[in-house]
Amino acid sequence: MKNKLFKLLALFAMASMILTACGGGKAAAPAEKVKVVIFVGMGTGTDPDQVDAQNKLAEKYNTTHDNIQIEFLIVPHTEYATRYLAMLSGGNAPQLVGPNGISSVAEFFDTWEDVTPYIKADNLDLSDFYGPAVELNTYPDKNTGLPLGLYPSFLFYNKDLFDAAGVDYPTHDFNDKSWTMDKLREDAMKLTLDKNGKNATDPAFDPANIVQYGYDDSWDGMRGTLADWGAENVGRPTSADYKTATADNPQWQQGLQWISDGVWKDHFIGGADIQAGRDSAGTDPFGPGTTGMFYSHTWYMAEGLHGLTFSADIAPVPYNPQGKRIARIDADNFTIPKDAKHKQEAWEVMKWLTSPEIIVDVCRIYGCIPARKSVAGKYLEQLKTDYPGIDYDVIFKSIDYLDKPNNEEWIPEWSKIEDALNNGLSLVYSGQEKDAKKVLTDANAEVQKILDEYWATHK
Amino acid sequence: MTQSSKSPSDPKARQRSFTGIQTQTLIVKSITTFVLAAGAAIIMIPFLYLLSTSVKSRDQLRQSPPPLIPMAADMVNINGTDEPLYHVTVNGQASDMALIKFRPGGKALFVDPAAPETTYELVIANQTAIRHVEIHFENYPEALKQMKFSKLLLNTLLVTFLGMAGMLFSCSLVAYGFSRFRAPWLNVLFILLLSTIMLPSQVRLIPTYVFFNKLGWVDTLLPLIVPQFFANAYDVFLLRQFFMTIPLELDDAAKIDGASPMQTLMYIIIPQARPALVSVAIFHFLYAWNDFYEPLIYLHSPEKWTLAVGLQTFNALYAVNTNYIMAASVVMILPPIILYFLAQKIFTQGVVFTGIKG
Amino acid sequence: MNFSPGKRPLSLSRREALWAYAFIAPWTIGFIIFTIGPMLASLFFSFTDYNIVDSPRWIGATNYVNLFHDDLFWHALGITFKFAAIALPLGLVFSYMIAVLLNSKISGINIWRTVYFLPSVIAGVAVALLWARIFDSKFGILNPFLEKLGIQGPGWFSDPHWAMSALVIMSLWGVGGNVIIYLAGLQGVPTDLYEAAKVDGATAWQRFWYITLPMTTPVIFYNLVLGLIGTFQYFTEVYVISNGTGGPARATLFYNLYLYQNAFRYFHMGYASTMAWVLFIIVLGLTLLIFRSSDLWVYYEGQIKGK
Repeated sequence: MKNKLFKLLALFAMASMILTACGGGKAAAPAEKVKVVIFVGMGTGTDPDQVDAQNKLAEKYNTTHDNIQIEFLIVPHTEYATRYLAMLSGGNAPQLVGPNGISSVAEFFDTWEDVTPYIKADNLDLSDFYGPAVELNTYPDKNTGLPLGLYPSFLFYNKDLFDAAGVDYPTHDFNDKSWTMDKLREDAMKLTLDKNGKNATDPAFDPANIVQYGYDDSWDGMRGTLADWGAENVGRPTSADYKTATADNPQWQQGLQWISDGVWKDHFIGGADIQAGRDSAGTDPFGPGTTGMFYSHTWYMAEGLHGLTFSADIAPVPYNPQGKRIARIDADNFTIPKDAKHKQEAWEVMKWLTSPEIIVDVCRIYGCIPARKSVAGKYLEQLKTDYPGIDYDVIFKSIDYLDKPNNEEWIPEWSKIEDALNNGLSLVYSGQEKDAKKVLTDANAEVQKILDEYWATHK
Repeated sequence: MTQSSKSPSDPKARQRSFTGIQTQTLIVKSITTFVLAAGAAIIMIPFLYLLSTSVKSRDQLRQSPPPLIPMAADMVNINGTDEPLYHVTVNGQASDMALIKFRPGGKALFVDPAAPETTYELVIANQTAIRHVEIHFENYPEALKQMKFSKLLLNTLLVTFLGMAGMLFSCSLVAYGFSRFRAPWLNVLFILLLSTIMLPSQVRLIPTYVFFNKLGWVDTLLPLIVPQFFANAYDVFLLRQFFMTIPLELDDAAKIDGASPMQTLMYIIIPQARPALVSVAIFHFLYAWNDFYEPLIYLHSPEKWTLAVGLQTFNALYAVNTNYIMAASVVMILPPIILYFLAQKIFTQGVVFTGIKG
Repeated sequence: MNFSPGKRPLSLSRREALWAYAFIAPWTIGFIIFTIGPMLASLFFSFTDYNIVDSPRWIGATNYVNLFHDDLFWHALGITFKFAAIALPLGLVFSYMIAVLLNSKISGINIWRTVYFLPSVIAGVAVALLWARIFDSKFGILNPFLEKLGIQGPGWFSDPHWAMSALVIMSLWGVGGNVIIYLAGLQGVPTDLYEAAKVDGATAWQRFWYITLPMTTPVIFYNLVLGLIGTFQYFTEVYVISNGTGGPARATLFYNLYLYQNAFRYFHMGYASTMAWVLFIIVLGLTLLIFRSSDLWVYYEGQIKGK
């Protein structure tokens, strides 16, 4: 009997192998249409409701186009790099990748096709795109793709907490020069409360039992967080020739010290334990209603402005100590891998996705401001229905103050330098090292070493 | 039995009264139960959080500190916006009022929903927010729908059970080969087998992907199933360890009866190593059920995904899906748990060798 | 058993060897088809500059030399050794003790066993969230409990000094897999041995020390070897919990995490391969040592002698 069982098992195993082999052997149906696979997962776009929306978008395209068929390939965000690299080396590169942040464009910079020849060949008019949006895709040796959308940054603030603290709301006037980092700190300290209801300006304030913080900017890395402080290279930690590390510049030191003091001296910013606590609850910094002001981008709106138990609005970021306002920006585009087999078709799809007819729908899926001026009105109407009662001007005006060079822009060894810098930020937030100068000097040395190693083998 | 012969045969112990031993075992059993219960409590508490989070709404996830029992504030509509209700005391009169605006000094403006024209400025700390238990069981169907559970379940079962069959079949043979025979280089081959799991898999991933891609296996379940039919170090090693605890006399007896090595494996070794086989089967089930890394690399089309990949998609950028992640996780831990519970029957039967070296 | 005429009958030892090779053939074939190629490829990559996208460029032993000058390599190796030195023995002893308890004949034992199995069932992103929940300094489960004992709980995963301890505790919670193996081993101890010992009047402790422990050395050996191999490649948990960064402040930058970063984040696949082969040598060396020692302490009832 056992013998039979064993044989049965073997038989079953064999049959199953054949079965699956057959199932797998089904080759793609002979297609007259060229299939353009769009790799989604480098940035946003993998959330289940986004997946459904993208499928609908594909359906829309496929029913109206005879020569090309598009398909969104969803790759869970956590493993996008592995999968993308595996596909490239396996010789089945996707035709299109996106939406990409400036960061993922930078991460895989060498793998992208230059779209300049395609723009020229089609004599494509780029004037409808916001100038900065085009610029963000333009590098000395290539243009990585047509702009899809922009994500300017601003402050989300909790009106209830301001009311309770008796602090005036942050100004919405972009010309009000009194709205500075110092003013922000003052306000934020008044918004920071311990469990006895005392605020951070009170001598009896108990820093060990803080229940509410005035300010948070913990969702960005070192480059992003410090880009606003007005350094010569703004969001870039190197010189323009990428050979010298400049992360220890005085403006960044000032900014990082402001954060360090904010966490450890003035107590209006939550440290690493507060951030970890939010992560563990699976929630964002602003939503729980215990953060007065949260610095973030338009992409946070979909998540952050829905279902709040308090009233909220948005305000411009303050002037930095240099007397300038810089509001760092993120941007999304679609890119074509050099190894893609149907680049021309991919280009056609890229044009469609960023066309005036469809760009608002596409941006609605991803939460970006459409990069075309001509659809601004249409987009505003949609904003009004999606997010009633906020100051839409702040969104559009913030674009003018973007960081240049951008805080996510390509540098050699992008990820390695990113990690080295963020390690410095982690040292500050965890209280390992509270002296910004020390942190940035060490980080800068590490960045310099990475650059030196890079230039030893490049050119 | 060299080991047992070492144990002292104290004549006094033998004369220990029967009831004495019984009391002793009872005490031992109670202590064991107590220790196990304490440990179980430590294990179960995190799972309570898992369950609790799985039935919270997005708003409830944001409550800080997070309550174990999902609560929600009672709301009332005042002039078009929902405001939270409080039990308030105004001039000694208790009533329910809505908080409409915060004021400095720990105060807020309250209104009676029936007459929202009159506002009362009250100290918040002296009023009590009205809350009720609010459990969102609909997270479960919603999470399962979003991850396309029923569709992915079939793939997962295919990968899990076919792989398990292949693994049990191949690993039994190979472990038998490594434990019951003498051959030149066998030891070296065994170390070679083990060495395949000593090299971090990350550096083999790309060449392996390229290989499967050349075979045309990418975007099929084959890379997840077929290699299982060629044994793996973890399970071979474990089975070998168990096979080597089975007395050789059993084989010899079978040999004398004219059994071939294959028959010896099937009739002597496998039945004796049942707990080990069940263990490797469970391990394989767990591995195949939960592994998202390999499926994620090889399976491109969403309709070919396994459940673990589907679960991973909830972990999207900028999205708060913790409640769905937890709900889907609760559902996903049920099959392995049930399987293990049922497998206990085979475990507890144990193995009794009789008639050997009596 | 028919010997073909005209041919010399196979000697018994030849015959035995052939049987051995026949039985291990499934693995040998699979090894040749699926495993050896990628392994050799990675060995080749370790001598190249390879960014995955472009073809590898031979650079000789440069990666190996660079490795020794890489502070993060030493940092990661140190962390990994430290973790292995603490978590491995603790885990082995802890899981053995649980298995012994779970092997007792008390009522509802199946339910107890299932409960202890529970932690090893849950995987992936839910685990990370769960653990962060437990270790959270403010709203976690652990710290309020410690507070009742009069201990001020640390920030665990947010404090570089404590992150490693949190991972060790975490690894103890997840010993369910080891427990199953031990349980299977304990189940495999012939019951007649215990009965004989009872007749001889052996105490419970003597029965454990002279029967249970020696008879389960093969599974202890297994858990030790696999624990060693696994601990040195410790990755998934810390990858999920630190979001791939090895933070806070690199306190959990384990060897394999740094390797992974090099491979798929910095695109230094050549360098990552070098790291992999260095680790391979270390783990192989330690494993061989354990195998050498096994004659001294592992007892096999059915061991074939004389190789």
